[in-house]
Amino acid sequence: MKKKLITLEVNGENHELAVEPDESLLQVLRNRLDLVGPKKGCDSGGCGCCSVHVDGRVVYSCMMYAAGAEGRAITTIEGIGSAATGLHRLQQAFIDAGAVQCGYCSCGMMMAAKQLLDTVKQPNEDQIRLAIAGNLCRCTGYTKIVDAIRLAAARA
Amino acid sequence: MTLPNLQDYHRPATAEEAIALVQQHGEGAMLVAGGTFVHGLEVRGLLDNVTALIDIGRLGLGGISREGDTIVLGATTTLAAVAAAEFVGREPAFGALRDALTYPPPQIRNAGTIGGSVAAAAPLYDIPAALLALGAVVRTTGPKGRRELPLDGFFRGLFESALAPGELITGVAIPPPPARTAGAFLKLETNANDLAIVSVASQLTLDGAGRIAAVRIVLGGGVGETYVRATGAEAALAGQQADDKAFAAAAKAVSGDFEPVTDHRGSAAYRRHIAGVYLRRTLTTARERLG
Ligand SMILES: Cc1cc2nc3c(=O)[nH]c(=O)nc-3n(C[C@H](O)[C@H](O)[C@H](O)COP(=O)(O)OP(=O)(O)OC[C@H]3O[C@@H](n4cnc5c(N)ncnc54)[C@H](O)[C@@H]3O)c2cc1C
Repeated sequence: MKKKLITLEVNGENHELAVEPDESLLQVLRNRLDLVGPKKGCDSGGCGCCSVHVDGRVVYSCMMYAAGAEGRAITTIEGIGSAATGLHRLQQAFIDAGAVQCGYCSCGMMMAAKQLLDTVKQPNEDQIRLAIAGNLCRCTGYTKIVDAIRLAAARA
Repeated sequence: MTLPNLQDYHRPATAEEAIALVQQHGEGAMLVAGGTFVHGLEVRGLLDNVTALIDIGRLGLGGISREGDTIVLGATTTLAAVAAAEFVGREPAFGALRDALTYPPPQIRNAGTIGGSVAAAAPLYDIPAALLALGAVVRTTGPKGRRELPLDGFFRGLFESALAPGELITGVAIPPPPARTAGAFLKLETNANDLAIVSVASQLTLDGAGRIAAVRIVLGGGVGETYVRATGAEAALAGQQADDKAFAAAAKAVSGDFEPVTDHRGSAAYRRHIAGVYLRRTLTTARERLG
């Protein structure tokens, strides 16, 4: 299989990459760009821990071919905030509300929640739960995640 | 990686180029729109013979347009874009489509496309059930030119449709619903990412006296190899006053309209029961939407 040369815009930076034509966006982010915030969970679009934004909307990066993501703006959890650059209010709220246990789902949860907060300033509980319906958490029972998203909204 | 025979990922700029690529690769060609169904096939090892992934995202097939009173959903319009359309959010006649679009999780709504959801030919999907209830028509282009294929009759079996090899869906056209028409859709599932147990899309048209002038009922989920038109239930409703008694009769009749499957999600008997309950609820909601 011949590699494909593509340019990917990730977190505002362009990367020239040689990828396999069937490589997923998730694989490229993790294995070629060392962005390990997006996690490999089910790898079949069901658990949500690989969630990233493409052109400002949340998608499962495991289901998107990297070659098909060329020309689109990709944002990972690393792009919304970090300890070095300052945490995003969702990241701070997840810490403050204790919304993290094993942490595997957290990055995907925050990316799903971010789309909600980008469009709805003060979401109600139903809207919050629907926004994260495509993200599984096996530890928290979701309550503290919902609390964290509400807290982040209140701090806007 | 996972596609052992893949040679290249193509992003053609025109439908003609895409069709030519499909013809060139024959059985080895795989169209990719949002890729959400394609990926499921890939992880199950069902795409081992694929030699070319052909991304149709750049063909200019996205967007919603109007031709007179007919609404055309471009093939690569995302489910999210359809859900955001003003008429979908507002008009009672599009109630079933509106309801159906709430079920896929945001990540799927943002990536999945109208064309992909129809071409997948999986009765487990909600949006095509609503489109069927609306009497929608699939528009295609292919090596032999353009065709219009009513969704009634489009689905031939599980993952099998009336599409010919190399034929590309360009859009789905929704004919103008008659006056005083409303729809509703309901699905039973165990969670947001599991397969539908039973889904029901109902489309109801009333006359001035509150009688049922037209009705279309579509069942999806684990109801068989394809969507099912509930003709028995439709017959029970036609010409009747749209009251609870008629709805109860239809709910009874619907159990004879399909041969549901039995699996770990539910028995055939359970699916029959739920279809009746959900039919009654969708009819009631549709009637309420007419005010
Ligand atoms: C985790 C998960 C949850 C889901 N939940 C729901 C749900 O709750 N409700 C629901 O209704 N659906 C649900 N779906 C299904 C989803 O709606 C479909 O996977 C999606 O709509 C398919 O569109 P796509 O653009 O991603 O298709 P793709 O995967 O790109 O393509 C699907 C198939 O159609 C072919 N194809 C694509 N476009 C065309 C075209 N224009 N012409 C001809 N052939 C074409 C492809 O070759 C492929 O065979 C879910 C899917 C996943 C993975």
